[in-house]
Amino acid sequence: MITEIAPAPERVEPPPTGTRGRRRAWDEAPRWQIYVPLSIYLVFTLIPFYWILLFALRPAGSTSLVPWPMTFEHFEKVWNERAFGTYFQNSVLVGVSTLVMTTLVALAGGYALARFDFRIKRAFMLALLCTQFVPGALLLVPLFEIFANLRMINSLSSVVIAETVFQLPLSMILISGFIRNVPYSLEEAAWVDGCNRFTAFRIVVLPLLRPGLIAVGSFAFVHAWNHFLFALMFLSDQGKQTIPVGLNTLMSADSVDLGALAAGGIIAAVPVVLVFAFIQKWLITGFSAGAVKG
Amino acid sequence: MKISIRRSRRLALAVALGSVLALTATACGDDGSGSAGDKGDEGSGKGEITFWDNNGGVRTDIWKEIIADFEKKNPDIKVNYVGIPAASAQSKYDTAIQGGGLPDVGGVGTAMLAEVAVQGALEPLDSRLAKSSLKGKLSQNLVDGSRAAGGGDKLYQIPTSSNNGTLWYRTDLFESAGLEAPTTWSNFYAAADKLTDKGKNQFGFTIRGGEGSIAPALDAAYGQSGITSFWNGDKTTANDPKNVAALEKYVALYKKDTPSADVNNDFTKMVAQWDSGTIGMLSHNLGSYQDHLKALGAGKFRGLPNPTQDDGSRVQISNPVDGLSVFKSSKNKAASWKFVEFALSHEENSKFNKSAGQIPANTDAAQDAWIQSAEPTKLAAEALNGNGTKIVQLPYYLPDWNTISKADNEPNFQKVLLGKMTSKDFLDTVAEQLNAAQVDWKQNH
Repeated sequence: MITEIAPAPERVEPPPTGTRGRRRAWDEAPRWQIYVPLSIYLVFTLIPFYWILLFALRPAGSTSLVPWPMTFEHFEKVWNERAFGTYFQNSVLVGVSTLVMTTLVALAGGYALARFDFRIKRAFMLALLCTQFVPGALLLVPLFEIFANLRMINSLSSVVIAETVFQLPLSMILISGFIRNVPYSLEEAAWVDGCNRFTAFRIVVLPLLRPGLIAVGSFAFVHAWNHFLFALMFLSDQGKQTIPVGLNTLMSADSVDLGALAAGGIIAAVPVVLVFAFIQKWLITGFSAGAVKG
Repeated sequence: MKISIRRSRRLALAVALGSVLALTATACGDDGSGSAGDKGDEGSGKGEITFWDNNGGVRTDIWKEIIADFEKKNPDIKVNYVGIPAASAQSKYDTAIQGGGLPDVGGVGTAMLAEVAVQGALEPLDSRLAKSSLKGKLSQNLVDGSRAAGGGDKLYQIPTSSNNGTLWYRTDLFESAGLEAPTTWSNFYAAADKLTDKGKNQFGFTIRGGEGSIAPALDAAYGQSGITSFWNGDKTTANDPKNVAALEKYVALYKKDTPSADVNNDFTKMVAQWDSGTIGMLSHNLGSYQDHLKALGAGKFRGLPNPTQDDGSRVQISNPVDGLSVFKSSKNKAASWKFVEFALSHEENSKFNKSAGQIPANTDAAQDAWIQSAEPTKLAAEALNGNGTKIVQLPYYLPDWNTISKADNEPNFQKVLLGKMTSKDFLDTVAEQLNAAQVDWKQNH
C-alpha cells in the first residue's frame, strides 16, 4: 500500500517589509517612468510582428500601412499551392517526436546523474557541457554518413534523432538539477511503503518535476520546430520537408514573394507562440528552479 | 549517497516504447547513395531518376509541369522532383558530395559549377551534346560560358537560361521630374541626384551593400570604365585605376542619393524597398520582374540593360547562367540525359524561361513571341547578342570565386560605403586574392 506523502510544513515567511517597500516605491513612482521605457521596448519588438501581419494580410502590391482591405490570399497560396499544410504536419511530427524522445531520455539520464555516483560522473557532465559548443553544421557530414548507413536518409526519423541528440545534453543537465531538488527521503519513504524504484519515481518524483519537464519539453519542441539545417540536409522528398525549409523555398535566387513569406512566417510562428503562451508560468518556474537550486 | 543500481524494467520499457513509437511515426528512409567517388552507370534509360531543382519553391510549378510533359512522352521514366531553397543549394550539394545522396540530374548555376565540378561530381556532357538533337540549337555563347565556368576543358552544364543585369526605373517618377530614361551613365547619375528628396523620404537609387554586393559593384566599375577584359595576362584588371575611379563615383551615391540602410541591402531588402517605397532606380536582374509587376503594376516601371557610355557602347559583366548537370554517380545516366534533352527542347525551354522571366538558351525558343512582348527580356536579349555590348567574363571557373566574391569581400564593400576603407584598397584586396587564386588554378589545372 502506498501511503500519501505528508505535505511539507508551511514555511514561515519573513515579515514582508521588503515587498511592501517595493510595492510602495512602485505606487509612488511616476507612471511615465514605467510606461515610457516599456513602450519604447514594445515599439522595437512589436513593429516587426506588425510588419509581418501587414504583408500577410494586405493584397499584393498594396503600400497601405494598415492591412485593409484584408485578404487571406497569401495564406491560401502558401497552404495550398506551396504545400505548407504538408510541411506543417511534418513539423508537428518532428517537434512532438523530439519532445517525447528528449524528455524520456533526459529523464532517465538526468535521474542517473542526480541519484547515482559513478567514477566518470564529473567528466561525463563536463563532456555534456562541451557538446553544447559544437555547432550542428560541423557534424553534418558524419551524421549524414551514419544515417545513410542506417538507411535513414530522407526519413523524418533521422531529423528527430539528430534533434534529440543535440537537445539531450542541456536537457539532461537541467532535469538532473530538478531531480536533485526532490528530497531523496521521499523516494525512500515510498520504497518503505512497498514501491519499487520505478513506481516511486513515477508516483513521488515525477509529479514534482512538472515545471522542469515542461521547460525541457517545450524547448526541445521549439528548437526542433525552428531548426532548418537537418531537415534541409537529411530530407529530399518534398512531402517530408518541414516548415523552415518551406519558408526558405519562398525566397528564390532573384525574387521573393513577401506576402507569401509573411503568411508562411505567421503559420510557422503560431504554434511556438501558443506553446509559450500556454507554458509561460511553468517555464519561468522550471528554469528558475533548475538553475538556482541545482 | 551511493545507491546500488537496480534497473527498472518498466522505465526502460517506457523509454524504448516512446522511442520506437516516435521512430515508427516518422517512417523509413533510404541510404542516400551516390557521392562524388561513385562512378555511376549508364543504366537502361528507364526507371526512376531524381532531379534537384536548385531554385526550389518559385520554380517548383514550372518544373513539375515540364516533368509531367516528360513522363507523358517517356512513360517508362519517372522523375522525382526535389526543390531546394536557392540560398542553400550549394551546401546541399556539398554535403551530398561528401556524404552521399547526390541526385541523377540537378540544376547547377555557373556560380557554383566550378566548386561542384572540381570535386569530381559531374559527368562531362560534350560527347552527349555532340550526338544530341540539341546540337546547334543552343546559344553558342552560353555553351562556351558554361564550359569556361566548369574549368574550360569539359562541358559539365547544359545552359537553360541566361540572366542579365537590369536597371529598373520608375517611369512615373522620371516623367514627373522631366528626366530622360537612364540609358547612359550620365543620365543615371543626373537622375539619381534629381530624384532625391530626403525630406520626403524619396531617393534616386538604392545600392546593394549587403549580401551579393560585389558583382553589382564590379558591374558599375567596368560599365563606366569601359575596360572589356577581366584579365590582363595573369593579373586582373579589377583594380585598374579607371575601375577605381568609377567605383569611387558609384560609391559616392551612398547616403547622398540612397537610403542609409542600404549598407545592409541584400537583394530581398533592396527589391522590397524599391517596390514599396519612392526610389527612382534599382540595379538588379531580370529575375525580379514579377515582383515589380505585382507591386507596382504595369506601366509604372521599365527595365533596361545596364547604362551605356556616352558614345553608346556598353560594357557589362557576365551574369551567372542557369543550367542542368548530370551527376557522375547516377545509376541511370541515359534517362538523366533524356530528361536534360527534353527540358532544353524548344517548347519546354521556352515555357521554363517565360515563367522565370529569363532568356532561353535554346535559340529557337529565344525567337518566340512572348519575348517580343516582355520588354525587359527582349532588351536584355538584344543587349547580350548585340554588337554594341562587351561582356567582361567573371572568373566563375575559379573554385575560390564564391569565397572571394562573397565572404571575403562583402564586409569590405560595406566598409567602403561607410567610408572606413577606400575604393582603391578594396579593389586592391580583391585583385590580390583573385591573382593568387588564378595562379593556384593554373598550377593545378
